[in-house]
Parts: sequence; structure tokens; C-alpha cells
Amino acid sequence: MIENASKEGSASSADLPLGTTPAFARMHKWLKRGLFVCLFGLVIEGALTVPVIAVWYGWPTLSLTEICSELMKVRYSDDTLECTQPYPLSGPPFGGAPEAAGQQTAKDQWGIQPVPQYPHVGFRELVRIHNERQAANKP
Amino acid sequence: MNEQDRRRRRALIAFQIFIYGALLAMFLIQLQMLMVKDW
Amino acid sequence: MVSLTLDAHQDESRRAQREADRWLIAGTILMGTLVLGPVGLPVFCRGVYLLRRAQQVGLSVRPMMVTLIGYVVILDAAINSIGWGLDVFANHALITRTIFTAWGNLMDGGYFWHYNELWIGGAGAPGEKAWIIVCIVVVFPMRIAAAIGLLQMKRWGHQWTIVTCWFGVISWMGYILNMTMYADVRYAGVALPVIGWWLYNIFYITPFLAIPYLHTVNREIFSD
Repeated sequence: MIENASKEGSASSADLPLGTTPAFARMHKWLKRGLFVCLFGLVIEGALTVPVIAVWYGWPTLSLTEICSELMKVRYSDDTLECTQPYPLSGPPFGGAPEAAGQQTAKDQWGIQPVPQYPHVGFRELVRIHNERQAANKP
Repeated sequence: MNEQDRRRRRALIAFQIFIYGALLAMFLIQLQMLMVKDW
Repeated sequence: MVSLTLDAHQDESRRAQREADRWLIAGTILMGTLVLGPVGLPVFCRGVYLLRRAQQVGLSVRPMMVTLIGYVVILDAAINSIGWGLDVFANHALITRTIFTAWGNLMDGGYFWHYNELWIGGAGAPGEKAWIIVCIVVVFPMRIAAAIGLLQMKRWGHQWTIVTCWFGVISWMGYILNMTMYADVRYAGVALPVIGWWLYNIFYITPFLAIPYLHTVNREIFSD
């Protein structure tokens, strides 16, 4: 009932949406456009996130577990680390130790503002790194 | 109503300028850091 | 235009509203999964189209802007909650470890640096966990609940969506200020420093677009 009464009230500006008075019509129009831009942006980048990341880091040449292990080696500067898969359910946040608990190899400039010292990883560079290590370990 | 509407609109525009201005400022600060530091 | 009695008009309006909402809800759920987003968007747009058509034939349905704000605010909160929820509750799942550290290495070192070394696991960047937890426990649930009330055209929904969108000022500014304080952790060694993060995250400003509308819409259209 309230909605119908208000509709009567703004019937004189019948082209305006319900609830929008002429004073704010232009503002509402631009806000609507902004929201549509955000909606399309969120959806498109959301859909692209996993594929782009996977391909950048070597999928499908490297499996997800291999990518996980390679990234772990970079982040803790230790070529012996591997991603335990599957990780026991007792792990965080259920009280168990996280996978990197007690690690000592990470390279950082410590201080009030830590500065990481790991190298950049370029497009599909993990594949090259992985293959080089395989070749080096072969003999 | 008209005066109140006008004041309201001005306040909301000021808010938009403030919040996007603040975000822009932080973006520019980070950009400046990017240019100076060895990232 | 067919002339209807008041009852028939209200029934027809409610039916049209429900039909549009079915598409809108389905679309939003699909978009919330991220990967099925491109499927959800056309589904959502069909709901928008049905709503606009109902409006054009004179039915009393929810205004487009209220619909848009309600669903987009929910989508925004849901996507963030799922992502951060994984970081808190599923940080040792293979998909989480791989995708998050990869994303971290690409755009935001906070999700790469010492990932899964904290006792609670997940992102270890200074201050990050605090912001994650307050957002997924306080901000986003409240915002989703309020937006649902808004979509139901309730007065409390309108009021609380205003309040929870204003939370966004604190969460955005606090989060980015924290990043800036520890900028080296967040950006050193990252593939697309600064630009990557901002281009990716700018689309989450939806609460700031909702605030001016919610403050200037005619309050009478919301009932208790």
C-alpha cells in the first residue's frame, strides 16, 4: 500500500524510478552505471583469476602439487621442501602445526619493516626452474 | 526540502571526493615507493 | 495497458518480482563461485531484464537500484568471505595453498611471504590476519544480512545497509594503510607490484557507490 501511494506521488515524474526524486535522478543514474561496471569487473576478473594464475605458474605442464612445492621452495629459499598432499586434517586451524612451522631457511632482512629477499618468478618460470632441478638431480 | 536536498547532495559528493581521494593518495604513495625501492 | 483490480495488480507484481528474483539469486550464487561467474552473469542479467520489463508495464516491483545494490553488495561480501574464509579455515587444502601463494607471488606478497608459518596458518603478513578475521566475522555477515533486508524492502534493511556500507570506510582505509606500512612485505619480489593489486581490487568499492543512493532514496518506499 505504501509503495502504491508513493508511486502516485511520483507519477508526475513517471519516468523516474520508484524512490528517486528529481533532485537526485542524475546522481542515481551515474551510481547505477558505476555499480554495473563493478559487477561486470568483479565477475570477469573472478572468473579469470584461477585460470590466469594456474597458467602463469606452469599449469598444466606442472601439476597443482608441483606448483605448490615450487612456490614453497621459492618462498622459503629451500630446494628440499615439498607440499605434503594431502595435509593431515589436524593441521591449522584445528591446533596442529602448519606446514612451515619452525622453518629456518627463509631469507629476509629483518627489522621493524621486514624486506623479503626471494627472487621474482616470471611468466611460467617455475616450469624452467623445475626442469633444471630435475636435470641437475638426474645423474 | 530543496535546501536540505542540496545540502545532502553536497555532503555526499564531499564524501565521494574524500574516499576516492584517500584511495588515490594511498595508491600514489605506494606507486612512489615502487619507483624508489628495489621491488 | 490492461487495467487490473488492486488485488490482481499486487498479485501480478509479486509474481513478477519473485520470478525476477529467482534468476537474480541463481545468478548471484553462480557468480559467487568465481569460476562459474561467466555463467552467472547472463543468468543475473536475465533477472534484471525481467525486473525492468515488469517496471515498464506498471507493476509495483522493487526499484532497479535497490535490486542492484542489494545483490552486488551481497556478491562483493560473499566473494571476499569465501576467499578469506579459505585462508583462515582451509589454508592447508591443496587448492588454497597453491592458488593463494601463486596469487601472492603475482600480486600481493602478504599471501606469499611466510605463508602457512603462523600457528593459525594462512597469510602471515603483519596485521593481515586481524583484518581478515574482523571482516569475515563482523563486516561481511552483517552486510549480507542487511542487504537481504534491503532486498525485502524492509526499513531496517535500508538502515543497516547504510551502517554496514559505512564500515567499508574503516575496512578499506585500515586495510590499505596496513599494507602501506609494511609495503616491502606486500610488494617486494612480486610479479606485478602495486598496479596488479589496485587494478584487481578497485572493483570492490561497491559500498561507496551504495552509500549516496541509500542516503538519497525516498525512505517511504521501505516498509517495516
